[in-house]
Amino acid sequence: MIRIDQNSIKRKENINVKFLYENAKNICKLKLLTNNNDFEKKIFDQNLHRPGLALAGFVDLFSYNRVQVFGNTEMRYLEQLSDDKKAEALDRIFKFNIPCIVLTDNNEPFNILVEKANFNKIPVFSTSYSTTKLVYLLSDFLDDQFSPSLTVHGSLVDVYGVGILFVGKSGIGKSEVALDLIERGHRLVGDDVIIFTKKGEGILIGSGTKIGKHFMEIRGLGIIDVQSMFGIRAIRYQKRLEIVVELETWDENTEYTRTGLDEKTITIMDVEIPYIKLPILPGKNITVISEVISLNYLLKHYGHNSAKIFNERLNEKLKQKNNLDNRGVEYFEHDFE
Amino acid sequence: MMIEKTVKIINKAGLHTRPAATIVKLAAKYKSEFYIYRDGMGINGKSIIGVMTLAAEMGSELKLTFDGPDEQQACDEIVAYFERGFDEL
Repeated sequence: MIRIDQNSIKRKENINVKFLYENAKNICKLKLLTNNNDFEKKIFDQNLHRPGLALAGFVDLFSYNRVQVFGNTEMRYLEQLSDDKKAEALDRIFKFNIPCIVLTDNNEPFNILVEKANFNKIPVFSTSYSTTKLVYLLSDFLDDQFSPSLTVHGSLVDVYGVGILFVGKSGIGKSEVALDLIERGHRLVGDDVIIFTKKGEGILIGSGTKIGKHFMEIRGLGIIDVQSMFGIRAIRYQKRLEIVVELETWDENTEYTRTGLDEKTITIMDVEIPYIKLPILPGKNITVISEVISLNYLLKHYGHNSAKIFNERLNEKLKQKNNLDNRGVEYFEHDFE
Repeated sequence: MMIEKTVKIINKAGLHTRPAATIVKLAAKYKSEFYIYRDGMGINGKSIIGVMTLAAEMGSELKLTFDGPDEQQACDEIVAYFERGFDEL
């Protein structure tokens, strides 16, 4: 089994507003409205908060440590208040350590809001997106930031659109298999060091590292740069993990599946992934087998399970009396080829 | 049993390509599994790309784990190499 070290699972505890602004600026079309900002303020939660009730006076259970979204409701409510009441409502929530505020739907801030935010060093952003769209985009970004991630030793390749992770002992030939697959038109995500991030429930997305991206070591040759060598068609930045293939030297005592009816899985960060153990033997072409693994996975995905179908055929045959197997074709009609 | 050791990078240039290659070569002599951890990222110490990915500069701390039949010998030789500052002191 591959080594899944619980210690290697990382989860960001928080991100600061500066990081959010720099990385989500373009995604969420954020425009900074304040000029006295504390960008070191921390965001601890991937969820967003609409502080309507808090502005109206109910601050029990106020989720102040989340990004605060001011939509049309919040802005219309504040705008119809007198200046004194506006100040009072804002003071009520600015007492808390709010990381930042986003105004959606092109809402323009009124003066008191900008003044109070500057005074409290709370960054205020605006966006042209509607609240629904902003919530969708920002949640997705924050979700990704706060997802657990895990580093695994292996090669991740997109084979016919299926993400296969090759694992196994050092020197068993993972990189060579990956290289062979690239040569046949498949795409490399990363070699040796793969970082998997959990996306939603049940999805793991793998990518290479910043520094090791698309570099590969071939024993006896050294380090090669796959992207410059094979071009853009040979690589991709990220891929969903769909199958784990473990390569190992043939071991007499290990039982390898013969029918494929018993589907094994491996659990990585609570996600179950189909798992195949492949013994390496002379004359065994792992590359071609990997392609077949992918195609078989796709067939299953489209409802065609080869092992099951063979099994059903056999059961059918067993029910018949004269069940000696015969030719696949009853009569070769004038076929001399 | 598994051996765990924490080491510090003490040479000026940090863990650059030459020491990375030496570490991988030393590790490959042994049967034991050898992993290096930095800030929760664990890489296989027998993979050159992995060791280079660590980009461990001077002063950084790494956790090494050795697991296998010859773990003590592997640990001794590799830890000594770190402590010698990759022979660059």
